Amino acid sequence: MTEMSESVERGRRLVSMSWDPVTRIIGNLGIHTKIDFDNREVVECKSTSSLFRGYSVFMRGKDPRDSHFITSRICGICGDNHSTCSVYAQQMAYGIKPPPLAEWIYNLGEAAEYMFDHSIFQDNLVFVDFCEQMVKETNPRLLAKAERTPAPNANIHGHATVADIMRSFNPFTGQMYKEALQMSRLTREMFCLMEGRHVHPSTLYPGGTGTVASPQVFTDYLSRLVKFIDFAKKLVPLNDDLFDFFYDALPGYEKVGNRRILLGCWGSFQDPDACDYRYEHMDDWGREMFVTPGIVVDGELITTSLVDINLGIRILLGNSYYEDWQGEEMFVTKDPLGNPVDPKHPWNQTTIPRPQKRDLEKGPYSWVMSPRWYWQKTGEHLPLDTGGGPLARLWATALANRVDTPFVSATGKSVKIHLPKTASFGEMDLEWKVPRWANTLERDRARAYFIAYSAAMALYFIDRAMDHIHQGDVKVFEEFEVPDEGIGCGFHEAVRGVLSHHLVIRDKKIANYHPYPPTPWNASPRDIYGQPGPYEDAVQGLPIFEENGPDNFKGIDIMRTVRSFDPCLPCGVHMFLGNGRVLERHHSPMLGLGGGKDGGSR
Amino acid sequence: MSNIRVGRPQVSPTAPSHVRGVRQGNAPGSMKKDPGIIPKKGGARATPKRSTGINPTHRKPILPSMPTLTPP
Repeated sequence: MTEMSESVERGRRLVSMSWDPVTRIIGNLGIHTKIDFDNREVVECKSTSSLFRGYSVFMRGKDPRDSHFITSRICGICGDNHSTCSVYAQQMAYGIKPPPLAEWIYNLGEAAEYMFDHSIFQDNLVFVDFCEQMVKETNPRLLAKAERTPAPNANIHGHATVADIMRSFNPFTGQMYKEALQMSRLTREMFCLMEGRHVHPSTLYPGGTGTVASPQVFTDYLSRLVKFIDFAKKLVPLNDDLFDFFYDALPGYEKVGNRRILLGCWGSFQDPDACDYRYEHMDDWGREMFVTPGIVVDGELITTSLVDINLGIRILLGNSYYEDWQGEEMFVTKDPLGNPVDPKHPWNQTTIPRPQKRDLEKGPYSWVMSPRWYWQKTGEHLPLDTGGGPLARLWATALANRVDTPFVSATGKSVKIHLPKTASFGEMDLEWKVPRWANTLERDRARAYFIAYSAAMALYFIDRAMDHIHQGDVKVFEEFEVPDEGIGCGFHEAVRGVLSHHLVIRDKKIANYHPYPPTPWNASPRDIYGQPGPYEDAVQGLPIFEENGPDNFKGIDIMRTVRSFDPCLPCGVHMFLGNGRVLERHHSPMLGLGGGKDGGSR
Repeated sequence: MSNIRVGRPQVSPTAPSHVRGVRQGNAPGSMKKDPGIIPKKGGARATPKRSTGINPTHRKPILPSMPTLTPP
């Protein structure tokens, strides 16, 4: 999908190259770059999305109890993250908290999701860019070097040279590629045990779950988890070997995908002993999460307060196909603690889409808005990114130095993960150290470590859940009534990073709902202050290491960078039959309309 | 909002969303009506009424908690 055109600009010969749509990611992402082949550098990058669905528009007027089912459909791989976040927001709005056993079930489900998604994305999608077939076509000299380089951890993962590692990830034929697919089935089963169905959970509700918490459910989960931990123990040293080789063999590769360290993590895995879903206590229970929320700027953790994080979110426009909503209704002027809420905050946002022709040179070019975080200390609107998800999570957790469980602990500059004895390996201790750069390879490396992190946390969650089971506890749901008015906000980590759902209820119906998944943060276009979004920033200034010239240029370094962020532009499902003929329309109302073949229920 | 055209909705928002006599899933008081679940501090415990119609004490179960497990 690459197109090229040449232009002579300011004394540099720039070639425009576009990848639209980008493959092996979810959704419609277009990357439009201008490359200077003489100096082997990418000069400009614009990231566009050509899809709009309008969840914030059509959810208004709906029953708030439906929102986790509806928002789940935003994404076909991380829909359960949306469900969970929506449930958190609803619980805040309704004023309830789920029973502890339900909270452990949520955590176990989310841990299974991270294990599933990260391993399938890393091994089956990202590593296609690093596999032997791809490296042969883009960097043959690198492959030759890889054949001669022994892998330092060969005794653990069984691949003698780095080239063997690359061969093992060849699509459809490589051994690790196939094993990762089998593991993805295992982890999906783990998720389904906890929440009924993957990707769109059927037993997840505000107030708890519908999962019957029998010992069987947890032991089934645990037996699969232990098998997965065997795989994770192989995966982490293998990733380390591959990425360290890239640093050694291609000096300067740390500049690929490098951008200023501006990472945001909204926290994941609630602690039921601390969390009561009250906004007034959000700072306290936020800090008790098993992935600590935080914002890291230039290597320093500037806050772990979810209230600060909430109040700083600003949705800027600038190059997006929307009209400004100044002058529309302000739903929330003050948060429950009395702090003023900005008109550009998601609680007060009204989405007014304005479809138009894309103008890459001067005007709006994307359906993605530009979320930014307003740092009161300096007055900057920071274009935070999530580092693909795991990088920000691990970085914030490491610096916050709060997580301390038998299997995972933060040290202030690293995260220590202890994996117990499994079938093929003995105990293993892994340590993710805070890196020097936020670049492509570190984002990919963090993903492998986070797989081990989730597995280790899942072991702890099972222990805590089984404590309840052994005491005979069976309660997994808390009853509630929907209030006439309410506001709620849920902060969670989707697989790819920060996820927030902001909800306003009026007259028992949704008055305003704005979910902000990680990809709007990452894929945002230039805002009104001219700051480029994270993809654009990371790709601009990127040195090119590929050995192909302009004629058969694959842009592998650019694609590695973009995919390291794990783009997940909301995927759309269309039935398209040339000329846009509608084949069939189905309407399935959620809350039991009484009619229909199966009683109208799903 | 007026600049996008949407199709005519097939269901009006005021269509009834529940059937008389069927309690909504979250309605308070549902747990009291559920046989075999007794609230306790911080949770709830199950009694054999949840999983069986017989009186298990006559059968002398080996472990007192066995009859309270959910049926598979």
